[in-house]
Amino acid sequence: MGMTVLIVDDHPSFRASARTLLEAEGYEVVGEAENGIGAVEAATRLHPDLVLLDVQLPDLDGFQVAERLGRLADPPAIVLTSSRDGADYGRCIEESGARGFVPKADLSGAAIAALLVA
Amino acid sequence: MTSIRRPWLYFGPAALLAGGLVVALTLASDHEENPALATSLALFVSWSFVVAGLIGWSRRPRNKTGMLMVAVGFGVLVDGLTEANSSLPYTLGALFGSVFIAAFVHLILVYPGGDLITRYARRLVVAGYATSVLAPLFDLMFTSHKTCKPNECPDNLLLVSRNHGAHVAETTVWTAVAVLLFLAAFMLLVGRWRRATPALRRILRPVYLAGALSLLLLSVGFVVTPFSGFGNTLVEVALIATFTAVPFLFLAGLLGTTLARSTGVRAIFRAIPERASAGEVEQGIREALRDPTAEVAYWYDEGGHYVDVEGNRFELPTDTRRRVVTRLDYADTPVAAIVHDAALREEPELLETITGAARIALERDKLLVEVRARAERYRALLQAMPDLMFRIGRNGSYLSYNAASTRDLFTEQVVGLTVWDRLPHDLADRILDAGRTAIDQGIPQVIEYQLDFAGEIRHYEGRFAPSGDDEFLMIVRDITERKRQQEEVEASRSRIVAAGDEARRKLERNLHDGAQQRLVSLSLSLRLAQNSLRRDPAEAEKLLDASREELAQALEELRELARGIHPAVLTDRGLDAALESLAGRAPLPVEVVGPGCELPSQIQAAAYYVVSEALANVTKYAQASAVTVTVDCSNGNAVVVVADDGVGGADRERGSGLRGLADRLASLDGKLAVESPPGAGTRVRAEIPLK
Repeated sequence: MGMTVLIVDDHPSFRASARTLLEAEGYEVVGEAENGIGAVEAATRLHPDLVLLDVQLPDLDGFQVAERLGRLADPPAIVLTSSRDGADYGRCIEESGARGFVPKADLSGAAIAALLVA
Repeated sequence: MTSIRRPWLYFGPAALLAGGLVVALTLASDHEENPALATSLALFVSWSFVVAGLIGWSRRPRNKTGMLMVAVGFGVLVDGLTEANSSLPYTLGALFGSVFIAAFVHLILVYPGGDLITRYARRLVVAGYATSVLAPLFDLMFTSHKTCKPNECPDNLLLVSRNHGAHVAETTVWTAVAVLLFLAAFMLLVGRWRRATPALRRILRPVYLAGALSLLLLSVGFVVTPFSGFGNTLVEVALIATFTAVPFLFLAGLLGTTLARSTGVRAIFRAIPERASAGEVEQGIREALRDPTAEVAYWYDEGGHYVDVEGNRFELPTDTRRRVVTRLDYADTPVAAIVHDAALREEPELLETITGAARIALERDKLLVEVRARAERYRALLQAMPDLMFRIGRNGSYLSYNAASTRDLFTEQVVGLTVWDRLPHDLADRILDAGRTAIDQGIPQVIEYQLDFAGEIRHYEGRFAPSGDDEFLMIVRDITERKRQQEEVEASRSRIVAAGDEARRKLERNLHDGAQQRLVSLSLSLRLAQNSLRRDPAEAEKLLDASREELAQALEELRELARGIHPAVLTDRGLDAALESLAGRAPLPVEVVGPGCELPSQIQAAAYYVVSEALANVTKYAQASAVTVTVDCSNGNAVVVVADDGVGGADRERGSGLRGLADRLASLDGKLAVESPPGAGTRVRAEIPLK
C-alpha cells in the first residue's frame, strides 16, 4: 500500500484532479476536507501519513491548520500547496512545520515524494 | 470798481448842472409866485432821489431800482422847465413834467428786485408812461384858462382850442385813467405784500408804506384838485411828504441791510460757539439770516451727496420763487449749502457776509458730519455682516461686540466678562494668545475652534486684528457648514479609496477562485493525460476533453472578470452599444433611450456603471416587469435615469452599491437621486456636469 493522503482544499475541482493524479501515482487518498476545521477533524479521525494542505481556506489559513495538525498525537507530514507562488508567502512556509510547498500547477506524486525524502 | 463809480461820475455832476439850470430858470421866471419855495422843493425832492438812487445804483449795479430813482430825480427837474419864460422850454416842461410820476410808479413796482415780474405789471408801467405824456398833451391842447401867477404863462405851442367844454372832457377822461392806473398799481402792491414771505416783507415794508401811500395820495389828489383849493393844498403837502420819503426809506432800507449785516455777523459769531454742534450752527445761521426756515446741508465727499446736520442724506431742492439754495463752494469743491427764503437774494450783501462767516464753521462741521455719515455707514455695514465681532482688551475682558443675533452668542452677556468667564478655559487661552500676538506683532492671526451649543457642535474661525495698543478685534465666522462639507468630501474620498481597495481585493479573489483554479485544474488534467497517453489512450482522450472544457470555462470567467473591470464594449463601441449589451443581458425587458448627446469618456463610464448598478438592483429587488433607461443632456449636465415599475421602497443609504455610485459621481461633481416610494417603482437619476 502506498502512503495515505488527506486532501484539504475548498475547490472541489482541485480535490478531484489531485485525487486522480496522486492515485495514479500509487498514493492512497483516504479523505478530503474543504476547510481548516474539517481538515483537523479528518486528520484526527483518519490518521493519514500525509496532508496536502491548501494555504487559502475559507475559515483558517493553511499555516494555522498546519500548526494544529502538528499538535496532534500522531502528526502527519504536511505539504502545503497553493495556486500562488511559494515565494509569495516568504518564511511562513519554513516556519509552519510543513515538509514543503508545491505549487498547484506542479503537483505530482514525484514532487511530493521529493519533499518527503528531503 | 470803475463800474460802481461810473454812475456818480456822470449823474452826480449832471444832477448839479440840471439843478442849477432849474434854479436859474425859476429865479428868472416872470410867472413864478414863490421862486424860493419852488426851487428848494424841486431841488430837495430831485436830489434826494438822485443821491439815494446813485447810492443804490453803485451798490447794486445790476439792479434797476437805483437807476430808476435817479430817473425820477431828473424827471422832477424836467417840470422845472415850465418856469422858463420862452414858449418852447415851457411847452416841453409842461408836456414831459409828469413823466417822473410814471417812473415813480415803475420804481415802486420793480422794488426790490429791479425787474417787472408779471406781464400785467409791465403793461401797467407802459400804460403809466403813455398816460404821463398823453394827459399833459391833451391838457396843453385844450387849456381853458391860464394858471400862472403873477404874469401869464408863456405861449403854449401845442394849444388847439380854449373851449372850456373840451377841457373839462379831456381832464375828466385822463383823471379817470390816471386814478385807475394808480389804484391798479396799488392793488398790485397789496397783492404782492400778501404773498410775500416774512423775509421779503421785512424788505418791502418801509418802501411799500411810503410808495403805496404816495400812489393813494396821487389818486386822491387827482380827484380833489379840480374842486377844492384847500383840500388840494393839504393833499399836495402830504403827497410831497410821502413822495420825498421814498428815497430816504430806500436809503434806510439799504442802511438797514448794512446794519442787519453787522448784526448778522455778530449773531453768527455769537450764536456759534467754539464747539458748536452742527445743529447749533444751523440755528445760528437761521438767526443771523433772520430766516427761521433756513436749512444747512453739508457736502459729503465720500457719498457724493449732501447730508443734513444729522448726517442723513439730503437732496438739495430746485430753486423756486419762494425757496432757493445758496451753495458754499471752496475752489470748485462743494462745502455746504443753505436752503433759505428766496427774498434773502434781495439782500445779497447780507447773504454773502453771513455765508462767508458761516463757511468757516460749516467747513469744520463738514468734517464732523462726514464722520457721522461714515460712522452711520459703517454701522449699517457692521449690522449687515453675518460675522460676530468682539473688541477684547489685552487682559481678556470684552469691551464691546457686534452680533447679528443674540442666538449666535455662546452666552448672552458679553461686555464686562472675560474670555475665561464665557468660554472653555483652553479655548480662552488660545484666543488670548492669538489676540496678544496680533497686538504685539501687528499681524492678523487666525485660529479654528469648536463650541458645544447644547449638544450641537459648531465650528468657528476666529480672526484677530490689533485695534489699539491694548486691545484687539476678534472676528468670528461660523464655519460649521464648511466643515461639514469638507468632512463629507473627505468621507467620500476615503470611501472611494476603500471602494477601490475592496474592488481590487475582490478582483484578486475572483481571479484566484475562478480562472486561476480552472487553470490549475487544467494543468493537472494535462499532466494526467500526458501520463496516461501511452498506457491508456482512451483515458487520455477523456482527460483532454475535460481539459478543453476547463479551458473554455477559464476563458469565460476571465471575460466576465474583464467586463467587471472595464466593459470592453464601452471601450470599443461606445455607450450606446454598451447600454444595449447591458439591456440584452438583463433578465427583463429594458428600453434604452439615448444618449441624445456626445459625452466625454469619463462621463460615459459613470453613466454605464449607474445603469449597470441600477439594473442589477432592479433584477435583485424590484420585482419589476419593465425598465426604461434614458441618457440625455440638459442644462450642461448629462442626465441618466433608470426607472422601473417594481415595488419601490429602495433606500440609497442601505446599499453599498448605490453609495459607491454616489461617490463615483461626486468625484465628477455629479449627484445621485433615488426616488422610490413604496409600491410606485424606483427611479434612479444621476446628473453629471459636462464641464
